[in-house]
Amino acid sequence: MREIHSSFVRPVLMQFFDEPKHWNENEVKVGRAWRLDELRIKSNKELHQLWFILLKERNMLMTMEHECNDKMEIFPSPERIDKVKISMENLETVVRERNKAYHLLETGETGERPRREVTNAFGLRGYYKSCEHVLPAFMNTKWIKSRQLTHGGRAVHKFLLKYREKLYNAKRKSKNRSRNEVMMILRRNPNFDLSVLRRQFPDVDVDKLVNEDKTRGHYVPKVDV
Amino acid sequence: MRLTQFLTSKLKNFSNLPKEYIERSKKQVYWQTPREATHLPRTVERKRFRYTTNRSWTGQFRQQNLPGTMRRKVFVEPVEDWSFFRGDRVEVLVGKDKGKHGIVNQVIPERNWVIVEGVNWHYRRVGAEKEFPGIIIKSEAPLHVTKDIRLVDPSDLQGTEIEWRYTEEGEKVRVSMRSGRIIPIPETNNQTHDYKTQNAYIEREKDTPAAVVGEITFQPKLATFEMDIMEEMGIKEERTPAKSYWY
Repeated sequence: MREIHSSFVRPVLMQFFDEPKHWNENEVKVGRAWRLDELRIKSNKELHQLWFILLKERNMLMTMEHECNDKMEIFPSPERIDKVKISMENLETVVRERNKAYHLLETGETGERPRREVTNAFGLRGYYKSCEHVLPAFMNTKWIKSRQLTHGGRAVHKFLLKYREKLYNAKRKSKNRSRNEVMMILRRNPNFDLSVLRRQFPDVDVDKLVNEDKTRGHYVPKVDV
Repeated sequence: MRLTQFLTSKLKNFSNLPKEYIERSKKQVYWQTPREATHLPRTVERKRFRYTTNRSWTGQFRQQNLPGTMRRKVFVEPVEDWSFFRGDRVEVLVGKDKGKHGIVNQVIPERNWVIVEGVNWHYRRVGAEKEFPGIIIKSEAPLHVTKDIRLVDPSDLQGTEIEWRYTEEGEKVRVSMRSGRIIPIPETNNQTHDYKTQNAYIEREKDTPAAVVGEITFQPKLATFEMDIMEEMGIKEERTPAKSYWY
């Protein structure tokens, strides 16, 4: 959308910098990022132009940030970088959607880079992104050698045992932490709505914790006579 | 208040900053593996922050959460339906201003706090040095939403408990438990740092005008993005690519 923006003619190198009037500002006010719905109604040509506008803006902002850090100055409104990043991500999503639709219609496949789940030498599962090759897989001995994806043996078994123990411990600790959190909330707020806690902490048995010692606060409980 | 609650609640983000920026600005990474195929993605960073009246993207927040420091955990009780918004008239239930009414001018959902204008304030001395006694300013202390305040019913200007109900149109509204009147969410809740109302926003130099944003220029076409751009630029590709294999 080059025609929309009033692009001021400045020397080429100075286009990496913000306008001089923004240099000593504390805040540079700008609008929000482009949303997906707004980008979906734009033509490919306009998206292409917008991409380069955003790219130039990002270059400018990153140069300014670097320069401000260098000169011990405050970089005004650093959220501009995030706004540009969000816009670019949204734009990429829209382009990908369009290409996917075309490929699905024409070939029945998404046209995305294929990936598959593989188990590596340590016995851990992960995604392998396929690459484009000149030779077919069965002829490509170098590739076959590099992808020895077999696993097994005592060492891998021992490793997996310890790795799973680690995962289990993380899970156990997180469960204990949320259990403790429930008890501390109940201790500080004795009349707290239990149904809220049940919804917020589904892995904790709230009714059991109500009678715990740790749940009771350091005060004399009120008894109805 | 958790993130999911924040998404479903009617509370607006006054700062109008993108979520990504808010997360990025408070990040404190102590150690990180190189993001390469040779390493697993592991990060050692600060997980627990002490939220105060200083917002998380400010220097004061960083000062209160300096790297390497730990502070005692604050247990924040979950609030399912956030019911206090900027511009609400509330009654104070505790402290020296007990019984007074005031208008909410800041909401801090991380701590279940609101700051009410002209209520629950104290003097604060700032900038004191050896020679200079400093200046005294008035600052409001935050009030807890579940214990310290309640909303004021607009029909009789008395404090009341509220309940969230649905109207016949399916809209979620706050209803006074005493009089059954709807307590509307004030327009001030939609204000942000950048504008008072969306229509009053002044378009800046680099903003795309609203009319241009709404313009529909997309024409459905049996072509990929790249094919369309090549046609637009008059690039003709006649070479046939060599056979390749994906694996």
